[in-house]
Amino acid sequence: MKRAATWLGTAAVACAAAAQGAGDLAELTLEELGSIEIVSASRRPERLSEASASVYVVSGELIRRSGVRTLPEALRLAPNLQVARVDGSQYAISARGFNNAIGNKLLVLIDGRTVYTPFFSGVFWDQQDVMLEDVERIEVISGPGAALWGANAVNGVINVITRRAADSQGVLAVADAGSRDQGLALRYGGRLGDNGFFRLYAKTDRVDHTASEAAAPVADGQRRRQIGWRMDWGSAADGFTLQGDAYSGKSDERAAFGTVQIGAVETEGANLLARWTRRLGDGSDFRLQSYYSHSEREDRLVYRPRERIFDIEFQHGFARGGHRLLWGGGWRHARDDIEPALFLGFDPQRKSSRWANLFVHDDIALGEKFSAVLGAKLEHNGYTGTELLPSARLEWKPVQGHFVWSALSRAVRAPARLDRDIRLPPQPPFLIAGGPDFVSEVAKVFELGYRAQPSPRWNYSATAFRHSWDRLRSGQVPPNALVQNMIEGSTWGVEAWGEWQPASWARIGGGLVLLRKDLRVKAGSTDPSGPANLGNDPQHQWSLRAAFNLPHRQELDIAVRRVGALPQPAVPAYTTADLRYGWRVSPALELSLIGQNLFDPRHPEFNAAPGRSEIPRSVWLRLRWTP
Amino acid sequence: MERQVKAAYLYRFAGYVEWPAGALGAAHLPLTIGVLGADALAAELVQATAGRKVEERPVAVRRLQPGDSLGDVAILFVGKPETPRLKALLAMVQPRPMLVVTESDSGLAQGGMVNFLVLERRVRFEVALDAVERNGFRLSSRLLSVAQKVHTGGN
Repeated sequence: MKRAATWLGTAAVACAAAAQGAGDLAELTLEELGSIEIVSASRRPERLSEASASVYVVSGELIRRSGVRTLPEALRLAPNLQVARVDGSQYAISARGFNNAIGNKLLVLIDGRTVYTPFFSGVFWDQQDVMLEDVERIEVISGPGAALWGANAVNGVINVITRRAADSQGVLAVADAGSRDQGLALRYGGRLGDNGFFRLYAKTDRVDHTASEAAAPVADGQRRRQIGWRMDWGSAADGFTLQGDAYSGKSDERAAFGTVQIGAVETEGANLLARWTRRLGDGSDFRLQSYYSHSEREDRLVYRPRERIFDIEFQHGFARGGHRLLWGGGWRHARDDIEPALFLGFDPQRKSSRWANLFVHDDIALGEKFSAVLGAKLEHNGYTGTELLPSARLEWKPVQGHFVWSALSRAVRAPARLDRDIRLPPQPPFLIAGGPDFVSEVAKVFELGYRAQPSPRWNYSATAFRHSWDRLRSGQVPPNALVQNMIEGSTWGVEAWGEWQPASWARIGGGLVLLRKDLRVKAGSTDPSGPANLGNDPQHQWSLRAAFNLPHRQELDIAVRRVGALPQPAVPAYTTADLRYGWRVSPALELSLIGQNLFDPRHPEFNAAPGRSEIPRSVWLRLRWTP
Repeated sequence: MERQVKAAYLYRFAGYVEWPAGALGAAHLPLTIGVLGADALAAELVQATAGRKVEERPVAVRRLQPGDSLGDVAILFVGKPETPRLKALLAMVQPRPMLVVTESDSGLAQGGMVNFLVLERRVRFEVALDAVERNGFRLSSRLLSVAQKVHTGGN
């Protein structure tokens, strides 16, 4: 995980507080007071490049108040993400457009471990799970984070950060039982000698299947189990962490495809991560991190990938004069073995890939009110060699509590095996025969953003962006269609959100995203479907949220969201609401009644009628016990 | 910064204590926060409470010396240097609704009810529920739910 500890919400509060003193801190809630990072006077408070980016931080408290059960549902809480539920367990998630189930422009990390699958540059959302109660925060950065995060962070970076073991001590049990889904999660945390803490968790979930618009049941339910652990010694700035998880999941049994038995989709995986951070005598800091992960997916209909990844990276940060420098590098090795199934095959079936990168980042103070951030990453991949990913940002703080920033970046989506090696069907004659000359997709991005925290009672943020695209993935007329880079164009829009606390017992928040796309196939291409294949995106989406603390230890949370219509395949716009009523029966026991998708009995969010799944209304009861 | 956060907490705590009827005196009297052995924090507290009210009462901050009467103090904050003498101090006072807040590892053992902890560069707090109950008042469960740890006695 890069030194991107973006405490944007709390950093904004802390910066405001440092100038205004205890007087304004007195307006904060107990939770907010407990989340302010106190920085010793001798060091400048950490202010990182992500502060001059479009970042939304989903706090652990917001996750709890919303009542969500899974990671993709928690991502709906970020106004700058497009989250479309495809069926019972699959999601299409993106930022700034290009959303589809194989979305490849978003980098997703859990505690510094990349969870997007290198061979198609996307995420299998039904294989990613965390114990949400132990998530400290989720940083959602929309826009190119390439200079710091590398290729594939073209449209955004999602950074899921779990609590340190010291912040998840004792017993926690959460049980959900509802009309559609059930789950049980248990966690125990304790000490390790004098200086260490650990936690251990186990969870099991059952997600019900959906029905299609034609009212036929779809075999998209899933049962999964996951266990994990984490051990920390020392502190976040100076310590050692070891953590790991293992999971397995199985979908419903699917009906035969023609005469072929295709069974269920079975998934499993495990990972191990070690991280060492050190604060050196001269005030600089150093981080070394390495992880190993393996995942398998057994789907006799589509394809059967098995992947092993080893990654090691380091970074070093120090200050010199008015510069705060961060530099580092990393190396990743992935070995995959993708067995063909009915639809897809890869040629070659097995492949080893390597990536290496080096980056540098300089935060330069230009007087009292301005600073510039210059960064560049050099990344080498096996297909296109070395790519340069530069970025320049300017920040202006006209007055305390207001912040204007602007950024120019070049970001790249490097080729993945899916682009080069795919064969559909697995044996000749092929409809799609890979793309031997497929190169990186390129975006040049301009962003302008404004963020303000005029008082601890309210804050807001707005970003305008424009991405100029070249060499986007395109196809040809089958048979033997090659994957090419012949689509270009631009996307632009606005992301905005804000939060207001009118009274100590009420908070209101909202978000809005507007997106426009102008993409076209280049002359000379025979692509039959054009830019529609690249993603199905709404032109607008907004959300409104209200959280109330009621007397007698009760809580009420209401969230309404609207997603505009999707063009191709056409999906109608929808508005829906989620509600949570919580009651703290005793200090150790909390009961919640949660309802999701309450406006319509069912509604579709993705894919083409009439075969697409409709997401139904659901209600469940949650019990949370912390003795 | 740490002092400012603690001062803000002390002001906020006042709203989460379920004071028994009459414990704070007549309705126009201020709610007094006494600070023993923490002058710099007392200054922050004055700033934090300036012009503010708790349950319609103004807030008064008193810098205490050892030996001062605690009769009208609703919240007592004991700074690190004075903590070793807290037990003896409380022994001389009749149990009454007064929230005793400390900032030292031995604070709760000395009879404190709420103790500030600094974890991962954040200020949190732990609560000794038995000490609160022995003094005849209650803490709102909202406060307890935010506490890092709630001790119910016996440990």
